[in-house]
Amino acid sequence: MRNPHGAELFCARTPAWAGRIVLKMAELKLLLEHAHESEFATLRGYVARGGYEGLKAALGMDRQGVIDQIKASGLRGRGGAGFPTWIKWNGIPKEKNGTHYILCNADEGEPGTFKDKQLMEQTPFELIEGMTIAAVATQGDVGYIYIRGEFLDAAKAMRRAIDEAYRDGYLGQNILGSGLNFDLHLHLGAGSYECGEESALMSSLMGERGMPRLKFPHAPLPTIAGLFDRPTVINNVETYCCAPYILKNGGEWYATLGAATKNSRGTKIFSVSGHVNRPGNIEIEFGTSLMELLEMSGGMQGGRLKACVPGGSSVPIINAEACEKAIIGYEEMGDVKTMVGSGGCMFLNDHTCIVKFIWRTALFYARESCGKCTPCREGTKWMLQILTRIVDGKGQPGDDQLLLEICKQIDGRSFCGLGDAAAWPVEAAIRVFPEEFDFYIKNGRSMVETPLMATMSPR
Amino acid sequence: MSELLQIGAVNERPKPPRAEDLNLRFSDRAVAELEALKTHYPNWKACILPGLWIAQREYGGFLSGEAIAEVAHRLQRSYAEVEGVATFYSMYNTAHVPGKHKIEVCTCLTCQVCGAYPLWEHLKAKLGIGHGETTADGMFTLEEVECLNACDRAPLIQVGDQYIGPLDTAGVDRLLDELRGRSDSTVVQMADVVVQVHLREPERNPT
Ligand SMILES: Cc1cc2nc3c(=O)[nH]c(=O)nc-3n(C[C@H](O)[C@H](O)[C@H](O)COP(=O)(O)O)c2cc1C
Ligand code: SF4
Ligand code: FES
Repeated sequence: MRNPHGAELFCARTPAWAGRIVLKMAELKLLLEHAHESEFATLRGYVARGGYEGLKAALGMDRQGVIDQIKASGLRGRGGAGFPTWIKWNGIPKEKNGTHYILCNADEGEPGTFKDKQLMEQTPFELIEGMTIAAVATQGDVGYIYIRGEFLDAAKAMRRAIDEAYRDGYLGQNILGSGLNFDLHLHLGAGSYECGEESALMSSLMGERGMPRLKFPHAPLPTIAGLFDRPTVINNVETYCCAPYILKNGGEWYATLGAATKNSRGTKIFSVSGHVNRPGNIEIEFGTSLMELLEMSGGMQGGRLKACVPGGSSVPIINAEACEKAIIGYEEMGDVKTMVGSGGCMFLNDHTCIVKFIWRTALFYARESCGKCTPCREGTKWMLQILTRIVDGKGQPGDDQLLLEICKQIDGRSFCGLGDAAAWPVEAAIRVFPEEFDFYIKNGRSMVETPLMATMSPR
Repeated sequence: MSELLQIGAVNERPKPPRAEDLNLRFSDRAVAELEALKTHYPNWKACILPGLWIAQREYGGFLSGEAIAEVAHRLQRSYAEVEGVATFYSMYNTAHVPGKHKIEVCTCLTCQVCGAYPLWEHLKAKLGIGHGETTADGMFTLEEVECLNACDRAPLIQVGDQYIGPLDTAGVDRLLDELRGRSDSTVVQMADVVVQVHLREPERNPT
């Protein structure tokens, strides 16, 4: 599974004497190679640029062969958790006794992330082809793309592409004369971050409130009883978009990308925003350093780098020093106590007040908590109350300790990942920037005295 | 609303509202759309969300009790169930009749550090309303929303199916003028777009 040249590549990029990567890496565009050509969003243009070769290759293999390619590629979920994709696909019963569902998580709601939006708007056929390949591998019959209700440009682009694919025999009955039948529907949400959590997404698609469902081992895995209680594959948009390239070029080839890292393969799209000169999506190979990513985004704007939230609002914040050391990879990011997450990378300059930033983060989670379980429903509101009083200049001695205590009560004790995701940023901010919290609580005002700081909250 | 609640016998689920108790308002087109949607899922319950979008359009942007009851009736679910779903999601207008245009301002993280709060304050002052409120002339509803996930364009506002950003206060003023000049409601238009993208080509133009 590992690239045989991995060790050499690693040496070339990280000399033993240097603590960090010295060789400059550039953007490596795989999924986004043709994204800016409008032709690529049409079936003809897509096929002309090598589209659907992956599906054709998959149709020439047996089902296990497709899953083996995904396994060899080392592909891990791009939606946040980084779970190996092949294990999900392999978990679908091989003996079929009813409908199998292929579900795409396009509810992109993690603050800071906007990669799925671009993929759906500009490369919709990659997603359709990827889901069709998943259908080949798992005997899927029906697919749904669950798009958040706000993403109407993405939904329109997907609708155009799906209609076109149906017209030309790439969806529906007997796809490309292979005997494969696969129907693909769009389903839109109606405004709820929690619907991005996979079991809440299924609840929502089944016509319920967007609340998560009981999980393994207390309930069967979604691969056994997921959507409508049938075997279900659920993956993120970007994950499915990788599949065509893996099948086209082979899993071994895909695994050579990012081989410098411990266990992250391929490319990853980072949505870079915040105080950078050129915000936007940047596709890089795993193993690139965070500072290079910053450079590709045109560098810092309006001030020096102070902090970074590299993977969407849920992942722990890191300071400039940690940014210097950070290598992008699922395990590597752990070395600087943060995560790849969904790739929503926010760079913050030294005019930013971390306390106010975390107050806004807490506000987000308090608003989006679905209310099903007590630690998260009460805990997120409680943390918000405390942070609000700090930001209002009415913080009390010991508030930071109290926040850490609440974080401990929420993390790992919540029904779904939203609770954990609400606790991590608060815990990390107090750990990394304790002096800012101290100062704000003691003096009733921010340590940062800049015009930007003043605009970071209402009032 | 009590006349819409029907309690069945012991151990019986609450029944869906009956047609004779309702003043059904779905157009022929809406009924055809709902019928098409029913073929996308193994059961009717899954049509609740798209059904509510149809209702939001058919009832002029507001999901009143009658609108929710009509969806419940057409999908044969209880009123309480459909209402419970409708009130969970922030994009369904269940609290009061929204303005002709809903202005949704993102103040989440990237927008926060890129100047969303000054925009928000500006809009509140200019329209004289706060979060979730509607101007007296019924023109605008103002809402502070969470990340719209187009943070590269921060600070960002959503109106109908459009994302507009990056914006400054002058841009916001121009936007308000433009919206005042529009004859249609972007709230209704957006609901229509949501319904249309659910439907396949042959289903969109029932002849
Ligand atoms: C609160 C919460 C929100 C989530 N939001 C999203 C999301 O918007 N998009 C997404 O792809 N995954 C999201 N996830 C992760 C999904 O639960 C799930 O891990 C993912 O869809 C699996 O796909 P993958 O294996 O391709 O990453 C979220 C998880 C949690 C706990
Ligand atoms: S942690 Fe609990 S309250 Fe929070 S979103 Fe998940 S289930 Fe809902
Ligand atoms: S923070 Fe406003 S769009 Fe993401």
